[in-house]
Amino acid sequence: MERRIFLGFAGPSIVVMCLLMVMPLIMAIWLGMHFMTFDNVLEPQWVGLRNFAAALADERFWQSFNFTALYIVVVVPSWIVIGFVVALLLDQVTGLARGVYLSIFLLPFIIVPIVGTIMFRQLFEPSGLLRWVYQELLNERFRYTEQTVKSLILFHGIWYVTPFTLVVYFAGLQTLPQDLMEASGIDGASRLQKIRHIVIPHVRSLTLFILLFSIMDSYRVFDSVFVLTGLNPLYKANTIMTYTFQTATQLERLGRANAMAVLTIIGIMVVLIPNLYLSWKEQIAER
Amino acid sequence: MDPVTSRPGRLLIHVFLIVFAIYSVVPFLWTALQSIKKLRDASSRTPKFLFTPTLENYEDLWLRSTPENPETLAFFLLLALLLLVCLLVFAQHIPLRRDLVYGVAILGLVALLWLIPQLLDTASFYDYFINTLIVTAGTILVSISIGCLAGYALARYAGLLGVVVLIAALAFRALPRLAYVLPYYWIGSALNLIDSHVLVIITLVAVNQPFTIWMLRSFFMEIPKDLEESAMVDGAGRLVAFFRVIIPVMWPGIVATALFTLLLAYNEFLLVRILTQTNWTLPVAISRFTGGEDPRHLTLAAAAAVSATIPIVIVILFFQKQLIKGLSAGAVKG
Repeated sequence: MERRIFLGFAGPSIVVMCLLMVMPLIMAIWLGMHFMTFDNVLEPQWVGLRNFAAALADERFWQSFNFTALYIVVVVPSWIVIGFVVALLLDQVTGLARGVYLSIFLLPFIIVPIVGTIMFRQLFEPSGLLRWVYQELLNERFRYTEQTVKSLILFHGIWYVTPFTLVVYFAGLQTLPQDLMEASGIDGASRLQKIRHIVIPHVRSLTLFILLFSIMDSYRVFDSVFVLTGLNPLYKANTIMTYTFQTATQLERLGRANAMAVLTIIGIMVVLIPNLYLSWKEQIAER
Repeated sequence: MDPVTSRPGRLLIHVFLIVFAIYSVVPFLWTALQSIKKLRDASSRTPKFLFTPTLENYEDLWLRSTPENPETLAFFLLLALLLLVCLLVFAQHIPLRRDLVYGVAILGLVALLWLIPQLLDTASFYDYFINTLIVTAGTILVSISIGCLAGYALARYAGLLGVVVLIAALAFRALPRLAYVLPYYWIGSALNLIDSHVLVIITLVAVNQPFTIWMLRSFFMEIPKDLEESAMVDGAGRLVAFFRVIIPVMWPGIVATALFTLLLAYNEFLLVRILTQTNWTLPVAISRFTGGEDPRHLTLAAAAAVSATIPIVIVILFFQKQLIKGLSAGAVKG
């Protein structure tokens, strides 16, 4: 295919991405240098780098950064471990049962995240099922405190993305090198040894893929935190995204929020750049 | 993996999987149960499993006033819906032109959706539902159209520019939504488009474009090049060959990508929340039921959550194979 034809075909898509992704990004930097509320959106006032400095000096910005980091550290390994183990078990089941299990397991991931969180929250309302179980088991009242709200956010995070890693690993298990598995069986390798020496190395590239993408996705966690905290500052459970959102909508500091969004991008580069590098190499090799 | 053969071993595996299944669905079952309770039963501190079920929460959510003969109306509306859905599902077996059957079924659905507010005194939740359908359908249409052209070009073009576009798309996909959405608010204000469907659709298309072109490209790569080349030897231009030869064999890939686009548009919260004031879609409308002081929000939220989930569950039941294929395709970076 010639370059001219390529541009003809890909043109509309490239134009949309340039106009609505590249341009907004540059605008975000520009708007971040302005004082802007909902009243003066079209005539913002130039303040230079003051928004960036204010964000970096803001204790709550760092607090939300720390909670986001905690979220990543707890949730991402859980996705990988639970997803892998359940995929191994599901691989043992065949026929109709396999399909039924898979559909059920997928539910938390497919559903609208906001709705899933509301359903999750229903379990912990004053009349909720799990709140009742908690009270019966521990014999103490369940309260919405900083600690419990944060645990709920982490618990919900694990609940709703595990299906994704599960499906990816499950697909990976269907392509195991059969000859190697058989040979190791003849050599008397135990099940655990096979998992350790054949299965885990086989899914290594999938794990890397999941790791990079789930770190980037959990870095921008928003919907579930929004529903579970209701943006109540009492719980100190803001993530970077919810805090930026709060700065924009409740404090009406749109310029500052833009500056924060730009700062967040710098944070994500740590994972994004290696990821891009790997994909680049892969694409060049494939060409 | 070689199967476990011992009986207790197999039993243990099933026990574990059933426990995991329960863990996956408890929130759904509990919310569904809460949604058909009277408020008094739903707010009981000890969970009630024996109660007289009621549809009054759904009624409060969808309707402003109760119609005179709700049973007859509900019966005929459900019947019409069922007929149209059957038409869509069994279109392949009807001995008529397939596009004609699909066209009739879709027109029928639109007519039905238009008819409902004429017959019933629907509440604003119905409007949010319609908004969601418009936004989702619009996003799929635009996104898949331009995405197919780009995905095809990216699958066939060997130049460096193609790789640059792909990697740039990957980078944009990873960036936090708010970095785009706040500037979109500025653009929307400048063009006086805040609260319009057009703005929501076009921004959703842009935000999902990286994912769409990556996924479509991976499907186009599976189609052998000889296919369009032989058509081009016969004198067809590339564009003609693309529409006559490639698109017909691409349908499974297009359906899978459309399915993911549907989920992304239907699920979007943040972007819609910032760019609309009253023309909400379901996720934004539903989020209003949380954290309020009104005690009725408990059961209304449950009914709203179930209402928003049913369409998605139906879609997933029909397209489960495409969904799993799409999720597990390693090339899909999303």
